[in-house]
Amino acid sequence: MKLNDQIRKFFGLKKKETIPFKILFAEFKKSLDLNNQILDLIADANDKLSGDYIFDEQYIQSSCRRLDDLVRQLIVTINHLTEQKYVELYTSFHRIEEELEALLKGRALGRVKDFILPYNAVTRDLTDSVGGKNAHIGEIGAVLDLRIPDGFAITTAAFSFFLEENNIRETILEIRRQWHQSEIAVDDASRQIQKVIMEAEVPKALRDDILNAASHVSKQYQDTIPCFAVRSSAIGEDEISSFAGQYLSCLNIPLQEIPQAYKEVLASLFSPEAMEYRLMMDFRPHEIMMAVACQMMVPAKASGVLYTYDPVRPEEESMIVNSAWGLGEPIVAGEVATDNFVLERRPPHEVREIQIVRKSETMVLRGCGGIGIDKVGEERRMESSLTKQQLRELAEIGTQLEKYFKRPQDIEFAIDPQDKVIVLQSRQLRLQQKRAPRACDLIGLGGKYPVLVRGKGIAAMEGIATGPAWVFTEGRDLSTFPMGGILVARHATPQLARVINQAAGFITDVGSTTGHLATVAREFRVPALFNTENGTELIADGQEITLDTECLTIYEGIVQELQYYAIQEEPIEEMYEYRLLRRVLKKIEPLNLTDPTADNFTPEGCLTYHDLTRFIHEKAVETIIDLNFYHAHHRDSQAGKLLWDFPLDLILIDVGGGIEGSHEQGIQPEQIRSIPMQALLKGMSYPGMWDMTPAGVDFSSFMSSLTRTSSVRSTSPEDVGRNLAVVSAEYTNINFRLGYHFTVIDAFVSENILDNHIYFRFSGGVTETTRRSRRTRLLAKILSHYDFLCEMHGDIVVARLKRTDQGEMMQRLFLLGLLVGFTRQLDVKMVSEEIIDTFFNEIKTIMEKEHGK
Amino acid sequence: MENKQTSILILDDEPIVSRRLTPSLEKKGYEVEAFTTSKEALECIEERQFDIVITDLKMEGVDGMQFLTRVKEKYPDTEVIVITGFATMATAKESFNKGVFDFLAKPFKLGEIAEVIARAEAKRK
Repeated sequence: MKLNDQIRKFFGLKKKETIPFKILFAEFKKSLDLNNQILDLIADANDKLSGDYIFDEQYIQSSCRRLDDLVRQLIVTINHLTEQKYVELYTSFHRIEEELEALLKGRALGRVKDFILPYNAVTRDLTDSVGGKNAHIGEIGAVLDLRIPDGFAITTAAFSFFLEENNIRETILEIRRQWHQSEIAVDDASRQIQKVIMEAEVPKALRDDILNAASHVSKQYQDTIPCFAVRSSAIGEDEISSFAGQYLSCLNIPLQEIPQAYKEVLASLFSPEAMEYRLMMDFRPHEIMMAVACQMMVPAKASGVLYTYDPVRPEEESMIVNSAWGLGEPIVAGEVATDNFVLERRPPHEVREIQIVRKSETMVLRGCGGIGIDKVGEERRMESSLTKQQLRELAEIGTQLEKYFKRPQDIEFAIDPQDKVIVLQSRQLRLQQKRAPRACDLIGLGGKYPVLVRGKGIAAMEGIATGPAWVFTEGRDLSTFPMGGILVARHATPQLARVINQAAGFITDVGSTTGHLATVAREFRVPALFNTENGTELIADGQEITLDTECLTIYEGIVQELQYYAIQEEPIEEMYEYRLLRRVLKKIEPLNLTDPTADNFTPEGCLTYHDLTRFIHEKAVETIIDLNFYHAHHRDSQAGKLLWDFPLDLILIDVGGGIEGSHEQGIQPEQIRSIPMQALLKGMSYPGMWDMTPAGVDFSSFMSSLTRTSSVRSTSPEDVGRNLAVVSAEYTNINFRLGYHFTVIDAFVSENILDNHIYFRFSGGVTETTRRSRRTRLLAKILSHYDFLCEMHGDIVVARLKRTDQGEMMQRLFLLGLLVGFTRQLDVKMVSEEIIDTFFNEIKTIMEKEHGK
Repeated sequence: MENKQTSILILDDEPIVSRRLTPSLEKKGYEVEAFTTSKEALECIEERQFDIVITDLKMEGVDGMQFLTRVKEKYPDTEVIVITGFATMATAKESFNKGVFDFLAKPFKLGEIAEVIARAEAKRK
């Protein structure tokens, strides 16, 4: 009774007074309305990631603000309803809100305050703080799981700190100004600035941070003396290849000497060439920043460079590798002759050409703290510096990097003493400009290349992919999936996400854009086309294909025109707004609270806005039921459990004239007087919709074959969840939770046409997946056919009908009743596109039989 | 297929809009010029005509309405498509009074704008 007392207190009622149910119910309905608005917004925002939309930062900002506001209102509402029982929700809410706020301030967020970031904390999104070189190498190690040198980034925040502590920023700008005004020559300015930097001290705090980070990294290499490469990672360096190589790299630096090397690298930011370049590019003072990469030296046996395309003749479809013995510095600088290999771009990357040169000298490490040039032994001079195995491994790494960064790549690598390939750097490779393909080139593609699929399916991720098809059949081992292959499967099942790092594209017969695989495809930016209906029949295993998800087309063979387009087009994921939305949604969309009986189903367990919404919805329904059924009955309402055979516990609350007779022993369906509820129950209990006993021949046999794998009967009502219907003579509000689906029906049916309305809402929880698109489309097709106004947000279907006479309204409610039982079964299998029509026709048959329409 | 390429000018101060639209429209065979400031866009239209102009209305320090007014003054047969995130009835009405071809609220789908462009093109022919 305590709860009731609390609520009484809240509404300012005296001990004996009962809170009018109307007030509670109004709050409850408000919570439902907020819940719906939130889920719609989340689904809409998630849709934007498909690449199909153009949205700007303004959109992300306003969507987040709106969500903040709605979720806050929802928490206020549930606390009204329960007299502040869930105030902890505010704590979870504020945490999420703050995280979102930080993300939205984004551009500033990129500039971290830390002086040091270990490579496992570095991603591309931190480019502004760690420079291009660090950002790329960090991402390669963390996301792609390739071998990179151990190390850390010294950030631009460290650079600013260095300038400020030494009070030399103004001095440098003043020298720069003199040069800009032609008072001094560039060489003179460069020399003066570099002197200022070299005479400055690395501040103690920064120095300590650097040395700590370095000893932490080198701990794993106890048997060797730790030595480092200290390299520039300037802002804008990797994006513009002509800028690369202008800065200094210090090699084989003992730990204690890193701060000194750090200064030398900073000073190289002011080489005359770099200064001239920046003047030409109109760099602003705040853009002149240097981050530094500090990496463990790799005692390379051999080193080299891989181009994933021949930059001059990309149409040759080849990769190029140059390599030589020892460290890579002289190779990159073009100081030594290198072996030259030309490989096929396509797996298995056959070697097309080999040119082995005479390699007489090699750069090697001299213990710690020096490098030197050694003579190469006579027997190794004409030996290939790379094995066939290493070449293939390199080609695979190249494909993976290119696929990930969506650009041809220029990759520096080393072969370590264990013969493993280590990626030292990867940046965009500039191809010789090709004329961008125009419509006139592209329109004719259909004639030039046989089309396998056109205009079918939905793009879960936009883009172009080329490669061999790998058709997944039941039992086929996914671990044999080839690098760069296009996965073709019947269903977009989550297990396929395992090959995300190798797959160039995904094609499925069945699948939805809100499914797990779609989410992963977007995260890794792998083009994905779902719902092609019969892609698995049209595409042969091993066949080379080109997938263009923007045009919903699959070509036989490699369509070079599209392939070039794909590598020249600016990928949307490189756009700030896209990354921001993706980051923001991570705090909003995932649903962690899936099971109301689990330990984490608490206010503290809410990690996202979706969790908060889900938690509150559960508690709102629970509260209404508790207050009216398990605890005190209101004078103005009566409650009871519906007695029927279906696996669904339904608590009915009567607020006036909805139920006849006694409620004590439960409510028989015959007792129900509520007009809308009667019609709904008639539909829900229609033979064949809920239970599995054979009824209308084709339909039920079909259904039972579909439901064999998950018996409705085996699920206890508790598992199915508590369900609530608030009824009066002319009104019904139903909240169902069936598995992961939520269904809300709100209906008012009377003699007065103008007052009549039906609202129907079906959702499946945004992250839970599979076959949603078909289910959604089936529901929309049925509902629209019967005059409902339908809206779809992701996998949420909302249908409305107003101002229709009582008889017609009753027929529509009967239909909704049918769909309630039926949608539960829809989860089992929407195996093909034809099933939409099959189900649709079956529903039509029932409606015709019952109502003649 | 011998027709001259349809030319499109895009003006939006959010660079993502033209960065996304330009490649997509070029792929469809249009000739596209994109601007993020109305100053540059105005300079450009003083020099040449475009078949279709796509512009945002509300931009920082820039008035899209002035820009489209100038476009319609100088080239009455250029079709103007307005894209905006802050659509109010008043602005929509004003732009239609100025002879705007259509009004699209941001965010929009590539397919949606392609469809509007195709209709604008059809009207010009």
